This record gives sequence, structure tokens and C-alpha cells, in this order.
Amino acid sequence: MTALEAYKLRKTYRQGGKLVEAVRELSLKIEPGEVLAFLGANGAGKTTTIKMIAGLIRPDTGWVKIAGCDPHRNSKALQMLGAVLEGNRNLYWRLTPEENLEYFGVLRGMNRKAAHRRGLALLDRFELLHKRHTPVQALSRGMQQKLAIAVALIHQPRLLLLDEPTLGLDVEASQNVKALVREIAQEGCAILLTTHQLNIAEEISDRVAIVQNGEIIALEPTARIVKQFSDCGYIIEFLGELDDVRTRKIEAIGAVVESQKMIYAGTPEGLYQILNVLSPLPLVQVKQDRADLTKIFLKLIGESRAATVTHGN
Amino acid sequence: MLQLLLTEIKRTWTEFIRYPIEAIAGLVITTFIFYGLFLSARFVAGSQLHLGDRLSTIVVGYVLWTLVLFIVNDIAAALQMEAQTGTLEQIFLSPFGAPKIFLVRTIANLGLRLALILGVLIIIMLFTRTHLYFSLTLLLPLSTLLLGAYGMSFMMGALALVFKRVEQLLGFFRFGLLFLLAVPIATWIAPLRGLGILLPMATGAEELRNLMVRNQSLSLTHFMLALLNGIGYFALGLFVFKWAERQAKRQGILSGY
Ligand SMILES: Nc1ncnc2c1ncn2[C@@H]1O[C@H](COP(=O)(O)OP(=O)(O)OP(=O)(O)O)[C@@H](O)[C@H]1O
Ligand SMILES: [Mg+2]
Repeated sequence: MTALEAYKLRKTYRQGGKLVEAVRELSLKIEPGEVLAFLGANGAGKTTTIKMIAGLIRPDTGWVKIAGCDPHRNSKALQMLGAVLEGNRNLYWRLTPEENLEYFGVLRGMNRKAAHRRGLALLDRFELLHKRHTPVQALSRGMQQKLAIAVALIHQPRLLLLDEPTLGLDVEASQNVKALVREIAQEGCAILLTTHQLNIAEEISDRVAIVQNGEIIALEPTARIVKQFSDCGYIIEFLGELDDVRTRKIEAIGAVVESQKMIYAGTPEGLYQILNVLSPLPLVQVKQDRADLTKIFLKLIGESRAATVTHGN
Repeated sequence: MLQLLLTEIKRTWTEFIRYPIEAIAGLVITTFIFYGLFLSARFVAGSQLHLGDRLSTIVVGYVLWTLVLFIVNDIAAALQMEAQTGTLEQIFLSPFGAPKIFLVRTIANLGLRLALILGVLIIIMLFTRTHLYFSLTLLLPLSTLLLGAYGMSFMMGALALVFKRVEQLLGFFRFGLLFLLAVPIATWIAPLRGLGILLPMATGAEELRNLMVRNQSLSLTHFMLALLNGIGYFALGLFVFKWAERQAKRQGILSGY
């Protein structure tokens, strides 16, 4: 069963007499085991969407179904949902990790013994077992974040919402969270996460949704969108001087030669021909010119903006 | 529900003793307040004969007053606290629903407070060799008073959910409470008296005073009126709180402080 289905969500805020259209006609679906990265500039409407999915903000129109249940109508839907929300710790500072897990387990409708047992298992898995008696206040930011994710998983939800899970974490802690997200997804939990760190999104997401002004302007498998925007060219860097004869040979194959570097947008066979000509000059690297999500993101956002401007005229 | 209550009690207790200095300071302050109360009551009462009665009235009255005040502010205070530490939205994600959790939570808080106060009182009584009298019939009007107090607590919580900054309002409300708990509605004349019954908590407080100060026996009609009043305000409080929750979800300001 589809883990999450959101259909034509719309939310307009009223602020000081002005209307802010935070989300308009946003629809998406996530299947079990899938990671969807939700990307967009500040104020694009990501947090509003996540909170509408979690039942914390009521959409003006549209509906949400978590494994078939509407969180705004049926509290059973909340049992299938875990969430770590933006910018706060989502934990009791004075309680230890063990106590937090047990407390939130009961709050999600588990019995206390089961919550305790599962809590310990999660602590073990998240490598926090040695800190289980330390008040949350005294944990590092990265540990707090991992614990918040563990707490959101205590009742084995089918859908996990993570609003900027790597915000403010150092490189190692981010890697840690990244690995956990992949693992959790592999066990069948659907994950919707927002992030401004596009390299992270690229590495862990199965699909990306790019949101602008409350609308999805692209929603595609991550691998496909990256491939689509890649120029399929190769960049070859080498050391030393290339004489005229060889330069001409290489240009004949179709590459553009610059000093100590050439760009070739052709077949793999052509690439080997070039390498043969280059031999025995030392190579620095040969790589495929692959677009990264940052470039794609900027490009799409720019195009969409340009489109709105021309429409406006 | 019982599991939830037990867990809530455990959490309240753990948070209380996690930083022992704070807990001990709280205890010491409570002890001093009650010791002062004992001394001044003894001074005011003068005649040794009636001391026991008067002292009981004063102490029991004071305890009730602090507890009611505590309950009425508790949900609004908890809401603000949770919003600051970033756990408020997690509570609204619970399938139990926020009203149930906050109710259970204030009950746990109240239990802890009551236990501490009773402990302190017993120690003081042992040391000063005085006795306090507490008749069990007091529990009946007291329960109506608590129902009303919880209703008011939910209403204050509702205000905090929708309007956020309510500290001033809460401060102002203390005076209102003093009025409600002290109005002698029994002495009001006909049309006003009918209105007096509609005031929150006033009927229950009046009945308590009748029992404690005037040594009257429990009047069944008064008690029933007070009970209806308590249930009415409790229901109204829940209703207003749920309305505020919907309102906050519509405006997207559940956690927005
Ligand atoms: N409670 C609110 N009242 C009024 N306007 C709001 C409210 N919450 C959000 N907004 C507005 O709605 C728009 C979308 O906000 P939202 O928080 O969903 O963006 P976001 O994509 O999460 O941004 P960020 O990347 O900065 O977290 C913004 O213009 C914001 O100012
Ligand atoms: Mg956001």
C-alpha cells in the first residue's frame, strides 16, 4: 500500500491583512522503502507541506493519506507516522535518551515494556547505548539529532518525515544520519525529507521533488534527473605538453583541446582512441562530466522563474 | 490511559529529581512558607484552645488556594514551555490527542505537588506537635472545585495556543481567581444569586468554606449545584481547547512562538 499520498494540498496564510500562498495544488506519492527529497529555496513551502502531512497544519483544500488513513480525521494515521521537525530538538532535555524513548513510545500508544525494549534496540543501533543515562541536554548536537530520529521511529511508523535532518551537523554526524536514513528506508519505511544540502539529497534520495512558490516544478527519480542534465561528456586532464601532431589527431576524433585538459563529448570507443594518442603522457584524471543536483536545482529554478516572468508579460 | 498516567507520573518525577538542588530548594521554600503559616496562625489565634481548628482552616485554605492557582496556570505554562523546548508538536502527533495528554499531565503534576506539600506538613506537625484536622467530607466540594479549575486551565491553555503571549493575562487572572474563591454568593440577593451559581468554582469554594469555617454539614443541594457547575466548566474548557487547537492548526501557529 502506498505509504503517503498527498493530493492537491493548498495553504494560504493570512498575515497582517496580506495573503501568503505558501502551498498551491501540491500532490505527491511515496511508496514503502522510498526516500523522497523535498528541495526548494527558503520559503518555498516545504515545512508547511510536511506539517500538513503530519496533521499539524490544516490544508485549505486537498487531502493526505498515510497508508490509507487521513491524519486530520483519523488518529490511527498518527500511529503510522514519525516526524522530526525543523530546528528544534523534539526531545525532553532533562530526560535521558532511554527515558525519552520510553516516554514517547507510550505517547504513541505502545505499552511501556515494549517501548523500553524497542528503545534499547534503537539506542544500540544508533550507537548511543553508552549515552543512555546522560540527560539529552549534555549530548552533542549530532547525538541529539540521531536520538530525535530514533524517537520518531520508536513505534515503527510506515512514514518518516524529516525536516532538515542534517541542519547544523558536522560532516561526520551528517554522514551518520545519511547512512541511517538509507538503512531505515531499506527496512521498508517511506521517508520524506527536506534539506538545503543538495549533495546529501543526491546521495540518499530515490526521487527528488523541487518546489518553488508552493508548487512542484520537477518530480523525478534522482538518477534520471541527474543523467538528463549531464552533458554525457568526458573531461581528460593530463600533464606535460601536447605537440601539434597529436593535438590535430585528437581534434580529428572530436575533442576540444585546452592546455593540459580536453573535453570530449563522444562515444567510449572514441575516448580510448584519444587515450591511445595521449600515451605516454601522465594522466591526472579522466571523468564523466556529470551534472550535480546543485546545478540542476539552480537551472530549474531559474527556468521556472523566467517562465513566470514571460507569462506575466 | 492508565499507562499514560503512570508514564506521565514517572516523567514528572524524573524531571523533578534530575537536578536535586532545584528540587531541594523547592522543598525548603515550601517548608518555610508553611512553618511561617504555623507561627503566625499561632500568634493570631492567641488562645491555645481553638488553635487546632483555626490553624487547620488557614493551612487547608492556603493549600487549596495554591493548588487551584497551580492547576489553572498549568496547561498554559506547559504549552509555552513545550513550545520553547520544541516538544509541543510531538505531543500533537500523539494518537491520544492533546487534551487527554495535558489532562493526565496536570494530574501527575498535581499529584507530585500534593505529595510534597503533605510530606512537608507531616514533618512540621511532628516537629511542632500540632495537629491539623481534615475531614474527608471536604473531598466532595473539593472535587467540584478541581473540576472547575481544570476547566479554567484548559481555557487558559486555549488562549495560550491562539494568542501565544499570555503571561500578563495569567497574572491578571490570579486576582480574578481570588475573587471567585472568596465571593460570598450565598449572601447575594435573588437575581444575582442565580448568576453567582454560574460563576466558575465559586459555588464549590463557598461550600468548602461552609464546611471548614462555619462548621456546617454538607448540603446536598449545594453540592449538586457545585458539581454541575464543575462538570459544566470542565466540559466548556475542553470544548474551548479543542476549538483553539483547530484554530491554531488552521493558522499554522501550533508551535509558532
Ligand atoms: N504561520 C504562518 N503564518 C503566516 N505565514 C507563514 C506561516 N508559516 C509560514 N509562512 C509563510 O509561508 C511560506 C512558506 O513557508 P515554509 O516555512 O513552508 O517554507 P520552507 O520551504 O520550509 O522554508 P525554509 O527552507 O526556510 O525552511 C513563507 O513565505 C512563510 O513566510
Ligand atoms: Mg522549513
